[in-house]
Amino acid sequence: MTPIDEDPPPPSPAESLRMIAEQREAAERQLSPDPLVYHGPWGVAWLVGFGVMFLRHGPGGTVLVAMPAWLPLAVLFTLLIGAAIVSGVLAGRTSRHVRGRSSVQGAMYGFSWFVSFAGMGLTLQRFDDGLSPPNVGLLWATVAVGLTGALHMAGGAVWQDRLLFGLGVWLTLVNVVGTALGPGWHSLVISLAGGAVMLLLGLVLRRRPAGRPNE
Amino acid sequence: MSELDPVIHAQARLRVVAALSALPEGDQLAFPRLQEILGMTAGNLSVHLRKLEDAGYVEVTKTFSGRTPTTLVCLSRRGRLAFEEYTAAVRALLPPPST
Repeated sequence: MTPIDEDPPPPSPAESLRMIAEQREAAERQLSPDPLVYHGPWGVAWLVGFGVMFLRHGPGGTVLVAMPAWLPLAVLFTLLIGAAIVSGVLAGRTSRHVRGRSSVQGAMYGFSWFVSFAGMGLTLQRFDDGLSPPNVGLLWATVAVGLTGALHMAGGAVWQDRLLFGLGVWLTLVNVVGTALGPGWHSLVISLAGGAVMLLLGLVLRRRPAGRPNE
Repeated sequence: MSELDPVIHAQARLRVVAALSALPEGDQLAFPRLQEILGMTAGNLSVHLRKLEDAGYVEVTKTFSGRTPTTLVCLSRRGRLAFEEYTAAVRALLPPPST
């Protein structure tokens, strides 16, 4: 085989394959979001936010740790807003200089989170006056977690990402269990089986070599 | 034994093609980002992209993002196929695993 220019051929077939694998992995890692930055902030927000919620508004109205009644919700909201900002910045950085199908998918997917949660906020207020305060809290939490589960499943479908899809199924399941157990317990279940699990998922994925399932 | 495609069987271009193959079909990557991923100089990358474009393996689109001119790059269908054939051919050249 005659080289077409001064660019030297790889020394051996094994070396060719090694270069391909290495370069593909580097490109995939740079073109997909860092899993820890993607899942970590949401994991922390749920773990800490719902954890504090459980400690202040425990099962049957038990106060496990004394603190102002408004504090847990303020902590949860602040952390959730922080996580949303991190996700937005991450999405922007990852899709930087990429045009085409996946940037449209990403924009629509991001927008669907915003629209569905805005819709949730605008509709659930309607039920505030008909329920006891613990049940109002449970209603908001259960719809928010259920929506998150559904959107993760949709994300898994869009990017053919089995883990993201599985996370959505898992969150839906633990949400059902937590809601069946009632106010207070729901916070504990979501903090640990939701928040801690997302954080762990981010850490585990970070350690694995990057790989896009939809090559 | 068929000959390896000389356009792809060259260290720098192999890396360019491998990196572009990681991009999902239907996506294009801007020149500076590709350069960043590959760690090549702009001049060097341009030369190799030109050769890949001449072979019909890469599509280069010049467009504007606002007022800034942008060069978008992706593998063509033919390029993707050539890369797959090259990978299969190289794999076939590997010595059989000793048992």
